[in-house]
Amino acid sequence: MKTNATIFSVAILMLLNINIAHAETINAHKTALQVAASTCSACHGEQGRSISPIFPNLAGQTATYLADQLKSFKSHTRADPDAVAYMWGIAGQLNDDLIQTLADYYSAQRPVTKSVADLAVVSRGEQIYINGVIADGVPPCATCHGPHGAGTDIFPRLAGQHAQYTLKQLNVIKNNLRNSAVMRNAILGLKENDMTAVAQYLQSMGM
Amino acid sequence: MTFKKFVLTSLLATAQLVWVMPVYAVPSFARQTGMACEACHTIYPQLTHFGRLFKANGYTLDNMQGTVHDISTDNKETLSLTGTPPISLMVQASETWLNKSLPDSTGSNGNAQNGTVAFPQQISLFYSGKIAPHLGAFIQLTYGNDSGQVGIDNTELRYANSIVTPNEQALIYGVSVNNNPTMQDLWNSTPAFGFPYAASNANVSPLAATQIDGTLGQDVAGMSVYALWRESWYGELGIYRSAKQGATNSTTGAAGPLDGSHSNVISGAAPYYRLAYEHQWGRSSLEVGLYGANFKLYPGGSTIDAPMSLTGPANEFNDFAQDFQYEFVDDRHIFTLSGTRIHESIKLNASLADGSKNDLTTSRLWGSYYYKRKIGGTVGYFSTTGSTNSSLYSVETTSGVVTSVNGSPDTKGWIAELNYIPWLNTKLALQYTAYNKFNGSSSNYDGFGRNASANNTLYLLLWVAY
Ligand code: HEC
Ligand code: HEC
Repeated sequence: MKTNATIFSVAILMLLNINIAHAETINAHKTALQVAASTCSACHGEQGRSISPIFPNLAGQTATYLADQLKSFKSHTRADPDAVAYMWGIAGQLNDDLIQTLADYYSAQRPVTKSVADLAVVSRGEQIYINGVIADGVPPCATCHGPHGAGTDIFPRLAGQHAQYTLKQLNVIKNNLRNSAVMRNAILGLKENDMTAVAQYLQSMGM
Repeated sequence: MTFKKFVLTSLLATAQLVWVMPVYAVPSFARQTGMACEACHTIYPQLTHFGRLFKANGYTLDNMQGTVHDISTDNKETLSLTGTPPISLMVQASETWLNKSLPDSTGSNGNAQNGTVAFPQQISLFYSGKIAPHLGAFIQLTYGNDSGQVGIDNTELRYANSIVTPNEQALIYGVSVNNNPTMQDLWNSTPAFGFPYAASNANVSPLAATQIDGTLGQDVAGMSVYALWRESWYGELGIYRSAKQGATNSTTGAAGPLDGSHSNVISGAAPYYRLAYEHQWGRSSLEVGLYGANFKLYPGGSTIDAPMSLTGPANEFNDFAQDFQYEFVDDRHIFTLSGTRIHESIKLNASLADGSKNDLTTSRLWGSYYYKRKIGGTVGYFSTTGSTNSSLYSVETTSGVVTSVNGSPDTKGWIAELNYIPWLNTKLALQYTAYNKFNGSSSNYDGFGRNASANNTLYLLLWVAY
């Protein structure tokens, strides 16, 4: 069984190698990059531009917001079903340094530019975004999320985000599954079809 | 039975045993990662894109608190143990009904009972998860009601690492040591983790199966190196050697070496290769690929009366296969369509004097739909066809059933399965298999008056994992 013996010695050599490699101190940025490119990317896409609308784009998102969200997944205060199923486990593995480095990394990436959207509702969505819905007590989204939806600091970027994800989050926030009183008050009066319209508009926005 | 037939029968017996191997999802992975099953599976055991990445990354992503560490005097990490070992248990209980009951094997005129209860059909213990940084394992011990014993099942050790290029594209690479060709594969279109994911072991299995189609599972050990570029290009190269379980050398009584008393021993090492490309768009992904292996097997299996050593000509099985998998994954609707076609050219240099050339082709196509990961099902078509060879497939029997009177291996049919998933780790399945052709023909295939449809099988399964 010469070959079996070879297989074994190679396996053992590999084991030794792993320990040595692991023991080397790798700088935080490199670790973050490795985590981002080999783990987060499986869902959020290369450099945070996700392919499937189940998973939000992270590219170009504000760093403060990203770090906040990762911490709230970790502390289980963001508790909608997909957060529980996917992100609680992921965020639980990240320490505060890694969270910050990942947040900085993703915020520095080129955001997604989306153009395909349901044109029938985009103009309604734009109206809501710029002017709000006075009758329903909904303030203009732009006041907090910025005129181009690029976000700033604690106010997340919305432009270019998948409509399916945005719509899901609007409901999640409305149902108080995210610890976010400011945003919840802003959209409590927003009707379902207006949510769809604004989500489509945001997907069509790009810059 | 002639000697030659004995050899060929034992060759085929192995094939029959492993016609369908059940496959699994493992809750210890969920415990380790803190993620729900749906991150990695559409419905277990079908993998999502992330599930494939988790596997390619060596099952090492973890979220376990209370890790046990050790460091050496120069502050290097020498041990990193997870607080809880990644152990899971899987139980399958089932009942199987054949369309027409089997003849009584005592040779009396009656029939065997119809309706086989299996409680359990199988209980498996898994150690699945991280062992050390970059090193993971998928180890499965299974008790089966057919063997009445606990034995090693699909098992793999995996080392994985990744390189990120300056423009932030990832190359994941690794090494897998495993005991079943294709169990290390990332897609469910290849044999080891393909449909049917679970099947009756109280059914009648057709005679012919290609070697890469599970025939050598748990009978070999292989090592392969693989690389996955940007989550889309996948390449793998490996070799397999015979590694028989429960086989001893009759001279020494020790665990080896193998000799002529063992059957179907791989001559040297058998090469294995795999190339695949996956493209993702929207909620969809499509994989197309090819895989194959070349096995040179010494028939062996000799006795003192008919000695036969592991030298001289070997039977050659060259397997070349294509596969594809389409996946649509959303919160509400999940749809998958997969298929594979395996062509095997066989040169029986050792078993038949004329070294006769044969071939065998297996094709499978199946589609699944699930609504909200609660209810759904799969419909599949299968076909194995090949050259007629009575010394291969006309097995001598006293009551038919497992032979082919015309010497043809052709078997074709359909499988339909309904699933209800009350919890993500519990599956109820009702499966019906219908044969249009069995071991060469649709009627009286065994020369004892049994028709292909007599082997149609209704199978009710409860499958839990925790
Ligand atoms: C298995 C898939 C998966 C992986 C891997 C994954 N995520 Fe997520 N992530 C999700 C899903 C799904 C959501 C949306 C959760 C929700 O709907 O509340 C999400 C949401 C997020 C959010 C919130 C975004 C927003 O706009 O509010 C951040 C930040 C995030 N993920 C970061 C990461 C990082 C960093 C990694 C790698 C360490 C990672 N994710 C790995 C599935 C994943
Ligand atoms: C008063 C300020 C304010 C207004 C007005 C406001 N938002 Fe927000 N929004 C926030 C804050 C703050 C958050 C971050 C919440 C958190 O940290 O959980 C947020 C988060 C969101 C998110 C979640 C983003 C993600 O990636 O998960 C969406 C979607 C959103 N807002 C859409 C809207 C829309 C649409 C409107 C207009 C109808 C609107 N917001 C109006 C403050 C505001």
